[in-house]
Amino acid sequence: MFSTLRQILGENWHWRHQVWSLAKIDLVRTYRGAALGKIWLFAKPAVYILVFWFALSFGIRSASDVNGKPFLLWLACGVFPWFYMSDIITSGSDIYHRYPYLVNRLKFPLSLISTFYSLSLLIVLGCMMLFTIIVCLMLRIPLGVHLVQLPLVLALMFLFWTAWSMMLSPLSAISKDFANLLKTLSTPFFWVSGILFEIGKWPQWARLVMAFNPVSWSVEAVRDCFVYDRWFWSDPYSFLPFVCVLLMFALLALHNHHRLYMEVPDVI
Amino acid sequence: MSSDANETRIGDAVIIRDEDAANPIAVRFEHVRKTYKLFRNDKQRLVATFFPGIHCDTVNASDDLSFTVGRGESLALLGDNGAGKSTALKMITGVCFPTSGTVEVHGRVSALLELSAGFDMKLTGMENIDMRCQLWGLSKEESAVLIPEIVEFSELGRYIDQPMRTYSSGMRARLGFAFASSIRPDILVVDEALSVGDRKFAKKCRERVRGIMDKENVTVLFVTHSTNMAREFCEKGIVIQHGRSVFGGGITDAIEYYEKH
Repeated sequence: MFSTLRQILGENWHWRHQVWSLAKIDLVRTYRGAALGKIWLFAKPAVYILVFWFALSFGIRSASDVNGKPFLLWLACGVFPWFYMSDIITSGSDIYHRYPYLVNRLKFPLSLISTFYSLSLLIVLGCMMLFTIIVCLMLRIPLGVHLVQLPLVLALMFLFWTAWSMMLSPLSAISKDFANLLKTLSTPFFWVSGILFEIGKWPQWARLVMAFNPVSWSVEAVRDCFVYDRWFWSDPYSFLPFVCVLLMFALLALHNHHRLYMEVPDVI
Repeated sequence: MSSDANETRIGDAVIIRDEDAANPIAVRFEHVRKTYKLFRNDKQRLVATFFPGIHCDTVNASDDLSFTVGRGESLALLGDNGAGKSTALKMITGVCFPTSGTVEVHGRVSALLELSAGFDMKLTGMENIDMRCQLWGLSKEESAVLIPEIVEFSELGRYIDQPMRTYSSGMRARLGFAFASSIRPDILVVDEALSVGDRKFAKKCRERVRGIMDKENVTVLFVTHSTNMAREFCEKGIVIQHGRSVFGGGITDAIEYYEKH
């Protein structure tokens, strides 16, 4: 297990320049063929946020300010990270089919494919977070000192979701069932993970259950930075379960990688 | 799993791979077997992801394959379709792994596997070449010198900035060959690539390969059905049948053996 970890870390370090440029290439590839290119990066989440805001404030009438911050900010802090996670859950879980030529035409370490894809999505998320901060500053919405933990939150999310991709991609490569299962789970994840509702008001036991849901942890952690003004580790009942899930996924990712990386090129 | 940086053990297989281009041996296969799993249906395939030991049909693409290629030699791999030539090349390139036996490769391998090898259809020809240069580990300055050379050789002209998916198979092959032969590998693997394109381009490719073989200390591995091509380029030949190397020797003898059996 440790040798696999060492191997993966070594490969990632050795190829770090290539990982960075492949992440940029992935962005180019995604927005190729559209004249507006980068605008689409923002257009899709912006439309989602407006639609949810419309539905929640005029339809369900539950769009009140949260912790003295505008409801729209609270919503943006849920929807922006969700776009990162939904791409990982749908495409990232079956990443070898997105880049088949890196698997069986070129000699390229398999573990890096998850890393650079996750990194390219993180670049987009980073831009959106920056955009959120700028809008907050322009509208004079007070942002607290807790914003400094945002890079750490993003780093933890990156770690977790890269491990997720590395754990599931070899399985998806061998059997299409996994890829289909995860595509199916994407929408349920959205609706049960507290992206559109506050789980802070739930009873203790329900919050504890939710803490094992990585989508919900990620969204809450980003909101800790912008809205709730607290340190994400200050509530052990939400942080420790996440650490457990993170470790479990990392171990499973190493296990699957070690067990299946020779077989993946044969089946892609 | 790995005992030192160059040697990897996977189950019964040993892979020795380094970039030592001074080693007198370029490629060596010793009793290499490559087993592919054949699943009866998708259900069996799903079950096999959880229980790797489950029984399924297998086929040996390479079976007790042994041969050695010295530095600077040119070797033709002769054999019918399905004899396991491409599997052997894939193992040399390092994109697939042997089930048992020893694969030894010294030097950097550039391969043209199945022509359009490793291009992203969504990117333009130029972006693809740029990406491949980076993956090969070239610096910006080195790429800047090499890229115009590649573009010129491929004769793609203005098409170089169009998405790869709009290319014809001949254009992809031209770009693939231009790249694989320009990056100065220690070992060049050519899989039927010289038979594509029109006669003029094929001639240009042959001249390029000849130039590489004459000037530099490059080891060339050819996979071909065409015995004329093999005779023209290679000093040695091996004949592969059903995954085994059944004959190895001078190219004339190898072709004679291949045509008889």
